[in-house]
Amino acid sequence: MKTTRREFCALGAAALVGLSLKSDRAIAGRFVNDSFQLGHLLRDGARFPAPRQVIRIPLVIVGGGMAGLSAAWRLQKRGFADFVLLEMNEQPGGNSRWGENEVTRYPWAAHYVPVPGKEAEYVQELFTDLGVLKDGKWDERYLCFDPQERLFLHGRWQEGIEPEPGTPRDREQFRRFAELMQSFRASGGFTIPLEIGLSRKHAALDQISFAAWLENNGFNSKPLLWYMNYACRDDYGALAAETSAWAGIHYFSSREPQEKGPLTWPEGNGWIVRQLLSRVGQFVRGEQMVYRIQRNKTSFRVFAGDTEYRCQCVIFAAPTFLAPYLMEGMPRLHDFQYSPWLTANLTLETIPQSRGLQPAWDNVIMDSPTLGYVDAMHQSLRTFADRTVWTFYWALAEGTPAANRQMLLEKDWAYWKEAILTDLGRVHKDIRKCVSRIDIMRMGHAMVRPAVGVIFSLERSRLRNSDDRLYFANSDLSGISIFEEAQFHGVTAAQRALRALGC
Amino acid sequence: MAILLFISVLLIAACGLIYELIAGTVASYLVGDSVFQFSTVIGSYLFAMGIGSFLSRFIHRGLAYRFVWIELVVALVGGFSSALLFLAFAFTQGFQIFLYLIVIVLGVLVGLEIPLLMRIIRDRYHFHEVVSHVLTFDYIGALFASILFPVVLVPQLGLVRSALFFGIVNAAVALWSTFLFRGQLFSPRRLQVMCVIVMALLAAGLANGKRITGLAEDNIYADEIIFSRDTHYQHIVLTKWKDDLRLFLNSHLQFSSRDEYRYHEALVDPGLAAVPVPRRVLVLGGGDGLAVREVLRFPQVESITLVDLDPEMTRLFSTHPFLTALNQKSFLSPKVHIINADAFLWVDSSQDIFDFIVVDFPDPTSYSLGKLYTTVFYSTLSHHLSQQGLFVVQSTSPMFARKSFWCIAETIRQAGFKIYPYHVYVPSFGEWGYVLAGWHDYTPPLSLPQGMRFLTVSGIPSMFEFPPDMAPVAMPANHLNDQILVRTYDHEWREISH
Repeated sequence: MKTTRREFCALGAAALVGLSLKSDRAIAGRFVNDSFQLGHLLRDGARFPAPRQVIRIPLVIVGGGMAGLSAAWRLQKRGFADFVLLEMNEQPGGNSRWGENEVTRYPWAAHYVPVPGKEAEYVQELFTDLGVLKDGKWDERYLCFDPQERLFLHGRWQEGIEPEPGTPRDREQFRRFAELMQSFRASGGFTIPLEIGLSRKHAALDQISFAAWLENNGFNSKPLLWYMNYACRDDYGALAAETSAWAGIHYFSSREPQEKGPLTWPEGNGWIVRQLLSRVGQFVRGEQMVYRIQRNKTSFRVFAGDTEYRCQCVIFAAPTFLAPYLMEGMPRLHDFQYSPWLTANLTLETIPQSRGLQPAWDNVIMDSPTLGYVDAMHQSLRTFADRTVWTFYWALAEGTPAANRQMLLEKDWAYWKEAILTDLGRVHKDIRKCVSRIDIMRMGHAMVRPAVGVIFSLERSRLRNSDDRLYFANSDLSGISIFEEAQFHGVTAAQRALRALGC
Repeated sequence: MAILLFISVLLIAACGLIYELIAGTVASYLVGDSVFQFSTVIGSYLFAMGIGSFLSRFIHRGLAYRFVWIELVVALVGGFSSALLFLAFAFTQGFQIFLYLIVIVLGVLVGLEIPLLMRIIRDRYHFHEVVSHVLTFDYIGALFASILFPVVLVPQLGLVRSALFFGIVNAAVALWSTFLFRGQLFSPRRLQVMCVIVMALLAAGLANGKRITGLAEDNIYADEIIFSRDTHYQHIVLTKWKDDLRLFLNSHLQFSSRDEYRYHEALVDPGLAAVPVPRRVLVLGGGDGLAVREVLRFPQVESITLVDLDPEMTRLFSTHPFLTALNQKSFLSPKVHIINADAFLWVDSSQDIFDFIVVDFPDPTSYSLGKLYTTVFYSTLSHHLSQQGLFVVQSTSPMFARKSFWCIAETIRQAGFKIYPYHVYVPSFGEWGYVLAGWHDYTPPLSLPQGMRFLTVSGIPSMFEFPPDMAPVAMPANHLNDQILVRTYDHEWREISH
């Protein structure tokens, strides 16, 4: 083939461009851990094949997230082994699931546990079992290494997530807010687990939004309000205007301000799941979606996959809103709303540059709709890390949960990839040169939303105290989706079930 | 009118001389041998000026226009000359090429200035007046510059910013000439815009001058670089001046061959000589093999395990003739086992027990390195220490970073050990500190191996005494979750360097 002079020049130019321009990396990735397809089968009343076998067993746990696994942990500790745990997904763990690649393990959602206070007895017991708490001392390997948090504002990273108050007025409001929270803390009404301190004395706070409460109390400092909204998005997936004031206050007054934690692991709370699975894994059946629970006089029929379980007790540890779809005759629930979330794990071939403070564990960007990212290698003992995985968190808080769920379903992977890179590109100009893979997990009902009136809802307290051989155990019973609540309800349900079974 | 014209002659002359002085000074500062540098810089500059004067004959038309352009180019090249030279030295191998290229370009352009100027104004004055006035102000400008340079500029502005400042002066003269010669210019407005752009560029450089020098100084070493390599983990530089060999890792001095024996004898021998039966020794860090060289003085030692992150580093110190001469081929000893691994991970996963452990890590300059100075690290290390064993930790300077030193000591104590801090004087480092630690009481050794150049049996006990200016200060221990040491260390060294 003869090459004309023009073609030759064009080739040469192309070669030069190829040599001189350092192009962005090709980024691989996909949606992972999707579970809405299964959920929608239930919602749409799909027909399931008749069971091919019947298994008689005293107790069935539905749901293998933290609540279900905690129930199993308590049963096993009490020497009870006649039970089975049914998990819809292949991998148990729920919001504490984790992933692993050639660089590190990493979390898919929940990634830390604050150092538990004295009220969180079961958490202390669990951590003693797991060797995290030894002779009253926390193993320092599991306490978050320094530097823990940084916030990007005014063009650089500052230490800590609380924005530095700019004006004397800001400073005064931060101080006054801290004082108010201290008095709420001292009142004993805001505890973890929530049920221990819950008192009607503070019920009025559940009747207004956190934003309204802040306004009523004269808080209008911009950095302070940003911080309040960030806290609500972070723990509840909602804005302060859609969060109960009680829940907003709980976030700030349920823990000691000067704690040395939190406890964290490269794979986040997946570490706890792994430890629990090593103890109770033999009871767990994965890919077993429960599609019907039928109550008879003295027993239950639980249908999952090709099996029917006949049992005396059921611990329902899956999200509570699913129960009416499974149980004949159970009315729909009104006080259980959930926030949709998106998390992504980004594999980084080199560490992006940052201005200001050195990389921290939790990295938050001021005025971004997202929650920033957590570095999975932060908790490694390694002194030199050139590759890492970042877990990127995005609670879709603006707009209604239903509209956001719709958006989660409609937009493709490339859309979210671009959105994530654009957000990170604001603070790491070279991000596109560093990322090689972005896997994205969509969760339509990621965590329960403590909207106005939810904490003191009658519907919720009725389910919490149901004592007729079917025990609810999900963290959403508290109205707050955190590890300690899941564990508390899981253990409590297990204890009630043991009592009912006469063990 | 006339006086303004001649002041601009004075200013251009001053600028020209300043650039020349800066080139000479930067070259002597970076390369050394100032007589040679100044002679060759001045010589080539003057010669280039001659070329410029010669070339001026080929310019026939648009004299004023070309004059303004030349001023602008001189302003840019001269203004950025110093910054360019620093960066060229720091990041390229061809400093001399840049130096003489800049000197010659500037010389040629400056050589063009005066002949052109004389021709531009020749119609305004008699010829003998033109020559007399221009040359008079030219020489006054030279005097002005030569006094200003050492007395005001270098001490106040530094080399990078002095050049940029005079670049702005030069561009200002260009702007000024567009008004002086506006009758001879076709479109003065366009030239004026160019002048303002050049001044803005130089002003931006002036505002960032500190950063440019900072960038370059990280890469500048006083002596000749005989080896430089970016490994996967760090930037290794070896410099040599006469018989002094220096190793820098990421621009931090690790040792000078003139006095490293003081550092390494003090690191190894007070502890190792006090261990009753030292069979197995572990060295963490120390990829230069110098600590291993000291350990090999003890014939009872049967095996030495060295854990260093960087395989390039241990290979360099196993093969480079200068370096194997320094560490006496310690890495080639059959007793030595080299493991290239991340020290914390290795300590965490290995099961081996040692009678003596040398912990010789870089100072805690970052949160990553800070992990190697925590309670968790020392308690993990404790699983590797035999009952009668001891370990020693290089612990930065108790003089310059007193709180950091005592913080390391406290951290080791809280990890469950008895601690014995000591210090020695190493000229290239200053006063330097170590912490010796073990399960039992420590008694200084009663004998030392042959061939010590610094340590004596009678001198050792005094090393454990701290004069008041280095005496213990109460410090909390360093934990993974607070990294108080990194913060303290950063604060203390920052205070010294400012």
